Amino acid sequence: MKPQLAVLAWNLALAVAAGAVLLVLRSDHADSKAATIALAVPIGLAFAASGLLAATRRPENRTGLLLVLTGFTWFLGALAEANGSVPFTLGLALGSVTLGFLVHLLLAFPSGRLGGRLDRTIAGVAYAVAVLGPALTLLFDDLERSRCDGCPENALLIEANQGATQALEGTVVGGALLLIAAIVVQLIRRWRAASPPLRRSLAPVLATGTAALTLVAAANIVGVLSDAGEPLYWLLQGVLFTVPISFALGLLRSHLARAGVGRLVVELGHSAGPHDLRGAFSRALGDPSLEVAYRVNENGWVGTGGRPLERPSKGSDRVATFVERDGRCVAALIHDASLADERELVAAVSAAGALALEGARSLQELRASEARNRALLDAIPDLMFRIARDGTYLDAEADEEEDLTAPADQIVGSNVFDRLPRDIGERLMRSIHRALSDGETKTIEYELELRGEPRSFEGRVVASGEDEVLVIVRNITERKRKEDELRRLYVELERGLGELQASRARIVEAADLERRRLERNLHDGAQQRLVSISLALRLARGKLLSEPPEAETLLRGAGEELGFALEELRELARGIHPAILTDRGLAPALESLASRSPVPVDVQGPSDRLPPWIETAAYYVVSEALTNAAKYAEASEVSVRVARANGDALVEVRDNGVGGASPDRGSGLRGLADRVSALGGRLRVESEPGAGTFIRAEIPLATVEPAAG
Amino acid sequence: MENRIAERSASCHHAEVTTVLIVDDHPSFRASARALLQAEGFEVVGEAEDGESALVAARELDPELVLLDVQLPDIDGFEVASRLKGSGSTANVVLTSSREGCDFGARIADSGARGFVTKAELSGAALVALLP
Repeated sequence: MKPQLAVLAWNLALAVAAGAVLLVLRSDHADSKAATIALAVPIGLAFAASGLLAATRRPENRTGLLLVLTGFTWFLGALAEANGSVPFTLGLALGSVTLGFLVHLLLAFPSGRLGGRLDRTIAGVAYAVAVLGPALTLLFDDLERSRCDGCPENALLIEANQGATQALEGTVVGGALLLIAAIVVQLIRRWRAASPPLRRSLAPVLATGTAALTLVAAANIVGVLSDAGEPLYWLLQGVLFTVPISFALGLLRSHLARAGVGRLVVELGHSAGPHDLRGAFSRALGDPSLEVAYRVNENGWVGTGGRPLERPSKGSDRVATFVERDGRCVAALIHDASLADERELVAAVSAAGALALEGARSLQELRASEARNRALLDAIPDLMFRIARDGTYLDAEADEEEDLTAPADQIVGSNVFDRLPRDIGERLMRSIHRALSDGETKTIEYELELRGEPRSFEGRVVASGEDEVLVIVRNITERKRKEDELRRLYVELERGLGELQASRARIVEAADLERRRLERNLHDGAQQRLVSISLALRLARGKLLSEPPEAETLLRGAGEELGFALEELRELARGIHPAILTDRGLAPALESLASRSPVPVDVQGPSDRLPPWIETAAYYVVSEALTNAAKYAEASEVSVRVARANGDALVEVRDNGVGGASPDRGSGLRGLADRVSALGGRLRVESEPGAGTFIRAEIPLATVEPAAG
Repeated sequence: MENRIAERSASCHHAEVTTVLIVDDHPSFRASARALLQAEGFEVVGEAEDGESALVAARELDPELVLLDVQLPDIDGFEVASRLKGSGSTANVVLTSSREGCDFGARIADSGARGFVTKAELSGAALVALLP
């Protein structure tokens, strides 16, 4: 409300009050005129004045307007002192409207607006009871009972009926009592739900309002039961006077609390830290739940203890007021939503505390950063030492105390050379001095025997001050072990690869050799024989007519020669691949081998067919072994056994010869070893000199068939 | 028989060629070759079964023709041929093998031999055809 309008309204209130005084003074029926004027006029003016003050200071708040209306309707009651019948009757009928406004005020405080449906219902019923109650009663009340001397006539009277009057009065009083009970219950609920700052505003209002309503109820009960309601009525008048004042006090509390700002400034001068600061703001705004939130980065807010804080969401009972300094948001006061009505106070408190809050924010920022660093360091699973230039441990941290040479508290204060072997200590000190002189991170690896087992460590030395370094040490025992294992596997792999290459070369060489042997055999054997036959036939043809007996001799010789050639070819073909092996399997093939061997052979072949590539390998193992037994071992008997065993094909050849055979000497056994190894198997040769030879090949049956070619 | 050789010699201007040294490590071939060549009018003056003995025999017997197997157990026929030439021997060398001549390429010509005949095609006529 604009001040000019307020002055106008105030003058109007004064005029209405003057009118009321005039009505009382000129009344024919008013009792105790002085007392009535002395009590009633100040009450009405108090409502108007409080209302105008509140409406001026808090124009957005409806409480002021309601107070002003209450003040004006209060003076309607003065019409009952008029001498004219109509104004008199109006005064009687409307004299209680003030009570409706009072209920409305109480329920709507502090915003001046009725919050819920229940509040609106109660206020509506209150207005109805306050206006309709007296109006209906007046329809039947001839005012005889009130023994009013000189009162004008009741203009609303239809028919004097004492019974109806009393019944209506009883109903109105009963209704009013129920209404008051409902209001009290509602106010108690409001109180219990209120936050401390809101309670401070509510306290005077609820106290005086409830007192007034209780007195209204009491006066009505007493008035109905007896005629002794008069003193209560006067008491009610007294209490009513305090009601508008308490409303104005409650509403304008923040203005009055400005003194708190001054106290805040003084307190901040002595404040020692963020906790004191929070207390000071809390006291200044009267909100014990107040939190100070500091902005530490783009999105983050932390509380006094450095713990993260969430900004209150919209519609919650908490509100954040941002405190700015030099256009920069330094902090936020998170306080009770009821303080939002005291914006000026909060703004004043914020302004007074901005500087202190900025300082505290810097401190919080520092602490948050410290906390981050600490969390980071705690999260690193490594050992950490702070070591001075002279090698003294300043600090020791370990996730695994097992990796320390002694408990951390014993390490601190001791020297590098007390804890580490001399050579490692010297290397570490060199790293420390180099890190301190050039500022670059140095790495050192060393091994320590801790609790009876060797452990490997890697230390990173970084300068952390002019005369101290931070050494972050990682246990790399496991890594080293894996590295060693990897290295070992690599060596093994290389050796295996070398063996494989050698074996492949040998296989190629053996195949080459075999082809050359075949060519040689063909050339020296069958081919020569066929050449001779060819020459003999040509010679015989020349002599067929001239010297028939010679021709016949030549032909006979050619026929014999042809027989030898065929036998040689057959033998050769068998050497390339024995047909019997393919056609009838390993066991008959071994029998055939044995039958051709000059040394007696005992054969125990496999009971069933094996994969073809395994049968071939087994055949050549036996064939080579039998050749060796006959050719070199001077054996007199050989035993051959081929069987399945544990997923392998087992080939064993044992002779009773001179022994001394080895795959390292001669290409035959080496070729066999290569052939077996190419199938994932292995060949073992036991051949001590004089103790015979035992050859054993194990070839996995699950081996995949080698690729052709 | 002599007439036939005389005829062939006359036609080939080699009437005087009669002596042959056979060098081969296979006795059966040496026997067949000897029978064949003798039957065709050549005079087989000796046999050798390897390179070294062939050189000795050629020096001692001084044959007019050496039928020389390429593949010998010690030194091969090419080497024997070039050594013979190097030693001043006037014998005509004809290399032979059960393989085709093309298997050896230029080595035959490089060795100083007169030519090459496969063992299966060996005949007096084939030899005479190669001589100067």
